[in-house]
Amino acid sequence: MATSTYLSNPVVTINAVDMSDQCTSAVFTRMIESLESTAFGQTNRSYVGGLENSTLTVTMYNSFAASETYATLKALVGTQVTVKVKPTSAATSATNPESTLTASYMESLPIVNGQLGALDTIDITFTGGAYSVAVA
Amino acid sequence: MAYVIASPRLGTVGDTYEPADGVNIEALIEGGFIKSTSKSTKSDKPIKDTNEE
Repeated sequence: MATSTYLSNPVVTINAVDMSDQCTSAVFTRMIESLESTAFGQTNRSYVGGLENSTLTVTMYNSFAASETYATLKALVGTQVTVKVKPTSAATSATNPESTLTASYMESLPIVNGQLGALDTIDITFTGGAYSVAVA
Repeated sequence: MAYVIASPRLGTVGDTYEPADGVNIEALIEGGFIKSTSKSTKSDKPIKDTNEE
């Protein structure tokens, strides 16, 4: 049985800053847009690959303290950012690959997501950019 | 331009920081993660105008 268990040590880096201790979720999705190529005579739709449009969505605790979430992200809104994720803090390898989006676009930054009796958490999405993976 | 690390989130504080390609340096400076080591070249003394007539 093959499983991947994320206990406590995935590594999330945003603009070279290690934000792992503020993250509670990271979803890295590699996506290549589909272009329909169905033609007369076919009885099923068919598609070919178009442009790549991968995304990384992270859920983070919001903090306005020095060197924390807000300080890291405030100047990145509306810019292209390099973001990296790997499953564990161990050395990068074939079994612990580091996925990177270079020049990924950060469209929005929630400033406050306050609820009574709950920690302030925010979801940040990085869209597009060049995907690469390091295994060494 | 040389930089030193000012936050452990980026590495060892005090070490020289060599930015990789694609890193937004201005955002790191604004966030307090690195500091520039280059000194200001502005002189404290006003420049004398020697071309008085």
